Amino acid sequence: MTIAETWEQFAQVVDMMFAEDPKRCRVTVSYQPAQGVLVLKVTNDHVTVKYKTEHAQDVKKLEKLTSQLMRQLVSK
Amino acid sequence: ELTKLFQKSKSSGTGTVRITMKQYDGQDRHRPRKNRQPRRRAGGSGSGDATSSGGGECGCLIRATLNSRKLSTVVHQKDVNRFQLAFSSLLKGNIDGLKKRDKKAAAAATAAAAAAAKAKAKAS
Repeated sequence: MTIAETWEQFAQVVDMMFAEDPKRCRVTVSYQPAQGVLVLKVTNDHVTVKYKTEHAQDVKKLEKLTSQLMRQLVSK
Repeated sequence: ELTKLFQKSKSSGTGTVRITMKQYDGQDRHRPRKNRQPRRRAGGSGSGDATSSGGGECGCLIRATLNSRKLSTVVHQKDVNRFQLAFSSLLKGNIDGLKKRDKKAAAAATAAAAAAAKAKAKAS
């Protein structure tokens, strides 16, 4: 399991994984209010990449990314 | 429904809200194993391949869970726009409690990242 350091890295990996095999790729978002942490995880059952954040501005980015992914998932 | 989930997690003070997203092609049952009867195999995995290669029929399966409560929904192409609006506003509204980055800290972070990238490029 890799941990991405920056959002750009994470976004790149997500795109790559989705391009390879959209049927097996899935994204998980988990929010822990107790610790104030947002965790994102992307996996295609072979490789997993995680991204952890505590920053409010990442929520916006997350939301952009998820909407983009959703569109892709639905169009294919 | 999702709002309720977030609110509950906040008020309870413990527990994580998890949201998962993946492609959905209408297959509810497992595909039969390939080693079984060839007829079934042709029918089962054949139909599976047909729907997946068809394209444009797929939806997006979205699940949300909190401790023991679970929700799930399938978003089809027609509903995508509407759903996305609602979903994003929901996420923004409920995922608070995260730290706000100061401008200085952000600038320092990005500068450090850029410097590190340059150093790597030079080294290679």
